[in-house]
Amino acid sequence: MKFLKSGLAVAMAAFMGLAASQASAADVELAKNLRIVIGSKSTGGDTYQNSAIVAQALADKLGINVKVDAVGSSAAFKTLRRISNGSTIMIFHDQSYLGYLYGVKGYFNIFEDFTVGPTVAINPGNSYLVPKSSPYQSIEDIIQACASDKKIRVAIQPGGVSEIGFSALKNAIKLRYPGKEANLVAVNTGSQSDKNQLLFDGQADLINGSVQANEQYTQLPAEDQKAMRFVWLTARPETIKQTKPEGFGDTSQEHLLDFVSPKASVTQDGEKDFTFDKEFFFIYNKKMDPAIVDALDEALGEIYAEGKIQETQKKSFFIPNFKPSAEAAAYLKDKMGQYEVIIDSIK
Amino acid sequence: MEFLSYLSPMFFALVGFGVIVGIIFGAIPGMTATMAVAVCLPMTYALDLINGLALLLGLYVGGISGGLVPAILLKIPGTPSSITTTFDGYPMTQKGEGERALKTGITASLFGGIFSAVILFLFAPSLADFAIKFSYVEKFLIILFALTVIASLSRNLLLGIFSGVLGVWFSLIGSYDISYGGNGEYRLMTDAMVPYLESGFSLLPVLIGLFGLGTIMQEAEKGIREEVGKGKKLDLNGGTPFSFSVFKGEMINLIRSSSLGTFVGMLPGVGGSAASVLSYTQQKNFSKHPEKLGKGAPEGVIASEAANNGLTGGALIPLLSLGIPGDSTTAVLIGAFTLQGIQLGPLFIGNNLDTWNTMMVALLFANLVMFFVMFFAIRTIVKVITIPKYLLYPGIIMMCVVGAYAINFGIMFDVWTLLFFGLFGYLGQKVGLEVAPFIIGFILGKQAEVYFVKSLESFGSLTIFFTKSPIAMVLWVLILISVVFSIYGMIKQKKNNNKHA
Repeated sequence: MKFLKSGLAVAMAAFMGLAASQASAADVELAKNLRIVIGSKSTGGDTYQNSAIVAQALADKLGINVKVDAVGSSAAFKTLRRISNGSTIMIFHDQSYLGYLYGVKGYFNIFEDFTVGPTVAINPGNSYLVPKSSPYQSIEDIIQACASDKKIRVAIQPGGVSEIGFSALKNAIKLRYPGKEANLVAVNTGSQSDKNQLLFDGQADLINGSVQANEQYTQLPAEDQKAMRFVWLTARPETIKQTKPEGFGDTSQEHLLDFVSPKASVTQDGEKDFTFDKEFFFIYNKKMDPAIVDALDEALGEIYAEGKIQETQKKSFFIPNFKPSAEAAAYLKDKMGQYEVIIDSIK
Repeated sequence: MEFLSYLSPMFFALVGFGVIVGIIFGAIPGMTATMAVAVCLPMTYALDLINGLALLLGLYVGGISGGLVPAILLKIPGTPSSITTTFDGYPMTQKGEGERALKTGITASLFGGIFSAVILFLFAPSLADFAIKFSYVEKFLIILFALTVIASLSRNLLLGIFSGVLGVWFSLIGSYDISYGGNGEYRLMTDAMVPYLESGFSLLPVLIGLFGLGTIMQEAEKGIREEVGKGKKLDLNGGTPFSFSVFKGEMINLIRSSSLGTFVGMLPGVGGSAASVLSYTQQKNFSKHPEKLGKGAPEGVIASEAANNGLTGGALIPLLSLGIPGDSTTAVLIGAFTLQGIQLGPLFIGNNLDTWNTMMVALLFANLVMFFVMFFAIRTIVKVITIPKYLLYPGIIMMCVVGAYAINFGIMFDVWTLLFFGLFGYLGQKVGLEVAPFIIGFILGKQAEVYFVKSLESFGSLTIFFTKSPIAMVLWVLILISVVFSIYGMIKQKKNNNKHA
């Protein structure tokens, strides 16, 4: 009898659970458990951090479970390709198309193979640094050094976000001093730790870094082997202007603007300056129901309208940047087109 | 002493909870300290930084320590850094000294953990300055140094080296990852294998396949009739009982192994497993009875466990004084800081003295909790080996499969990897393959390649490996000593064997 009772209770609970999930599915057409795979394997990096903020906001807004899995780009694209019911979506940044432009294996044209969703934030920190004792005071000094046939070694991680600034710099040298761009040499390496190490070892003159990871190094006294100096931030000036006035760490917003166009100028085409904002956006399976795309756009629109997520993002040095799917896709496609020209020009 | 106000009962409860959960993760083959920290990271959103770190540091220490349980009792390393614990821990269990081995390991872990925490507290910034003297070249030489363990671990030198090289070869399958600065090209596989192997074989499924599944297959081959038929009961305390006198004469071993653990931990990118491998080799080289290592010598367990817990403080050194993680677990720890908007870097300690002090308290307390929980739970834990194998092994296989599937967030190929390497280990041993050198080659191969290639790319000449710096020269001397000791040990053993024959 007891067994029967508990059996009935289980059946009842299951039925009620099913009914509840059907009701909510009809409302928002979203899975009760949403998995967000990200293009990075690190849970300490900006992609995870930004995705976690957005995931939490979505979970609160929609009353669903949202889990962020740091699976890495290759596994994320593979998973996304397989699952079209909207239970798994992806968040990544410009690397997703830059990898394709640079011909890195495991990357695809996301605009053809997937559906590009809304943008949510910018990491404005992509930067280039020299040792504090370096003779080069600015990015212009670096360009001039290349023009006068000095070899400048730049530590980057090849095939994406870390390389695009290098490519732009090479392109700028080519435009201003044709033939001298060969003096800018890439030293391919991996993590930020490896890039820093190359600077400490004197194996690189310039490294790609970020405001978040390298700002404290810029506060060290010049005699410290680890001391560095920013010479260029690739972000748009209007992006930096949206950071808090106190900037990041001990570097104020005003000081950060010294390293951004127009003060730090790297020409893109002889007229306008090259800029690069690392933007985070959603990517969906191509066959995913457009109603889900709309539902997520709507939910995010409401989240951003409420204004709370912006505070959380800014606290972590992200610039809120919500654009609904259609607008975001068009914008990012144009952005990709511009970078394609740069990459092609220095091939 | 303002930081004392942060030390609430909640703080200590979280450290304790973290340690216990960490031990469970570490003790389950296929689950690691990194996984424990990653799984619990989202829980810290609801906590403030201090309490969040308390939980995560507890998990870290517990996770690293828990690995010794299956390593000693079942010959399955719970985490990659407890591989060398199996070498002597399991033979001790076979001699009926399971409890003794566990208590020895736990005490050595406590020593290593506290030692590295003290080093971290006293010398973090200056050690970080020392760590950055290690460029690609020195890091390659450290890996090479760790690889020399293959020579001293092999039963047959030629087959051992062959197995090690084979391990290196397997580790290189996949792409030359751009995240290491590679060109992203695929190597050592056909196009059909690309969808599965583009990132190569994952370490953990390979490890638990070789050690876990391989061992179970060997046992299965023997059949369960023997055990039941003879009514043989595994003895829990048949051999020498544990007493702290086991550490008599082992002080140098403890300090050397803890130092090596701390030192390897503070070199970003060298990886945790190298720490216990290195200290085990050194113990074997300097031991008065090297022939006993690998056959159930407590000093082997001490070397391995002091080193892998020494790693915990060591890996936090670059994290807290350079903003760079020392190992995969501390890489996850960064998340806790960034999510709370705390900037890590060379100024972290000075700018966040309270956080730094509370972290040190958490680390010390975690080590103590780990010791007391494990030391007194051992009587229960050790009973695992009395479970009939026909019940125990299917359970372990299930855990291995779950662990392999979960390690990369649900990749089925990792389960096939587990089965493949289980079979490979089982069949390989029949034709003379040596599993320990193979796995060491596999673990260290990828890093060895990256650092070797990057050294050449940076300096353009092979001679740089010898001339880069005084550190490089010292490392060459150590490598040479290690190789000479191994060969000498082997010749001596051969002579002894001949005499006995």
